[in-house]
Amino acid sequence: MFLSVTLALLTGFLNTLKLFVLTLVFSLPLGLLISFGSMKNLRILKYPVKFFIWIIRGTPLMLQLLVIYYGPGIILKHNIWGSGDSGRFTAALVAFVINYSCYFSEIYRGGIQSIPVGQYEAGQVLGLTKRQIFFKIILLQVIKRIIPPMSNEIITLTKDTSLARIIAVYEVIWEGQSFIKSAGIIWPLFYTGAFYLIFSGLLTLLFGYAEKKLGYFQTK
Amino acid sequence: MILEVKNLKKSFGNTEVLKDISFSMEKGDVLSIIGSSGSGKTTLLRCLNFLETPDEGVIKVNEETLFDPALSSSMSEKEIRNKRLHFGLVFQSFNLFPQYTALENVCLAPSLLAKENPSMDVSGLSDLAMGLLEQMGLSAKADNYPHELSGGQQQRVAIARALALNPDILCFDEPTSALDPELTGEVLRVIRELADKNTTMIIVTHEMSFARDVSDRAIFMDGGVIVEEGPSKQVIDDPKMERTKQFLSYYK
Ligand SMILES: Nc1ncnc2c1ncn2[C@@H]1O[C@H](COP(=O)(O)OP(=O)(O)OP(=O)(O)O)[C@@H](O)[C@H]1O
Ligand SMILES: [Mg+2]
Repeated sequence: MFLSVTLALLTGFLNTLKLFVLTLVFSLPLGLLISFGSMKNLRILKYPVKFFIWIIRGTPLMLQLLVIYYGPGIILKHNIWGSGDSGRFTAALVAFVINYSCYFSEIYRGGIQSIPVGQYEAGQVLGLTKRQIFFKIILLQVIKRIIPPMSNEIITLTKDTSLARIIAVYEVIWEGQSFIKSAGIIWPLFYTGAFYLIFSGLLTLLFGYAEKKLGYFQTK
Repeated sequence: MILEVKNLKKSFGNTEVLKDISFSMEKGDVLSIIGSSGSGKTTLLRCLNFLETPDEGVIKVNEETLFDPALSSSMSEKEIRNKRLHFGLVFQSFNLFPQYTALENVCLAPSLLAKENPSMDVSGLSDLAMGLLEQMGLSAKADNYPHELSGGQQQRVAIARALALNPDILCFDEPTSALDPELTGEVLRVIRELADKNTTMIIVTHEMSFARDVSDRAIFMDGGVIVEEGPSKQVIDDPKMERTKQFLSYYK
């Protein structure tokens, strides 16, 4: 029994992990782009971007999942997500990427705006280009500053992936819950908790390591 | 003439900060700029370093026009960057890059510039940087990060960093104002040594006796205009204008 539960949960967790990793792969860079948009001194860009961030951060991810999965089919009379498990997974991924890009963009924005203007000006008077200033001077300082809020957000993401089951993406809790019906046992559910605990524990260690790695310098 | 500034004007919104600034410098000159808070000293240095764009006026270095209003709108980022390199600027708040060691702070800009112009020779760069740190009395601190240095040491690294690009004119904006009194001496000493080596410098400062001793000429600014200009000993010890006398009386 233990073995079959473990195997079932592992399949579910593989889906969880896939959703987690792919969400990060797309939303980390997309969030940076959105943060640039929200900081640009160009009204027709800045305000729509800020409005969009407000909508996404102000409504439940659960709601966004439902709207993104069912919306196109009902409005366009055409299921753009494709059929079956992979279609639902794609829809879930899109919802997660949009949602997390917006959260990340706000963390990036806070980090970028906290860098003193003197750092940019020092780079400018030394004849550096805007790109050089951003990549050689600003970026690492921003990364150092945003590690704590980022690690919070990313650990929240591990747990948020379980919301994908609302559109029947078979993640780890869904697998655990299925044993309540099929075998009348509850312990697989606690077992899923262990998966999350171990995974978020590993992430905590990883971020702690990154923080330590960047501890060799101090920003003001 | 190494620097010629003519009829420079700059406003922020409705406040006219620089009203009509003209002065010039010879190569090797040290010019001090004194004046009360808000008189426009920082703004003037920022205009010279292209951190602000003047509204009117002309800036020439070695007879080359770096700025006039007709040029300004058509200048590309690259042109501005090249013009900027005629000047160096040392900030009141140092602005060292915290993730780089003292030596890396000095080397960063020259090595990035060299990447763009492959003709530039980088082989001597770290020797040059070490030499500059030595000149600043900081050989032992080359591998330290800014947060491991005192304010005075950080400011000396910042001076070495500016010198590494070999600017025609090095500007200082109150280089010791952010320092504890016991640390100002070490920074003033290296500036004095630079003056002895005939480095062309513009120094905005509230250290009157330093300004008098180290500089050839001095300018007293008030309300965005140059009120008095002359040999530094005369301007500081024996000012002609009433406004200058009044200002200097606070420093007696
Ligand atoms: N970016 C800006 N926007 C609006 N006003 C500005 C700006 N920069 C400077 N000013 C104003 O311009 C005036 C001159 O400022 P500046 O910093 O050049 O004076 P300063 O002579 O350097 O003074 P201090 O001795 O206090 O450093 C001040 O009234 C200041 O408020
Ligand atoms: Mg000032």
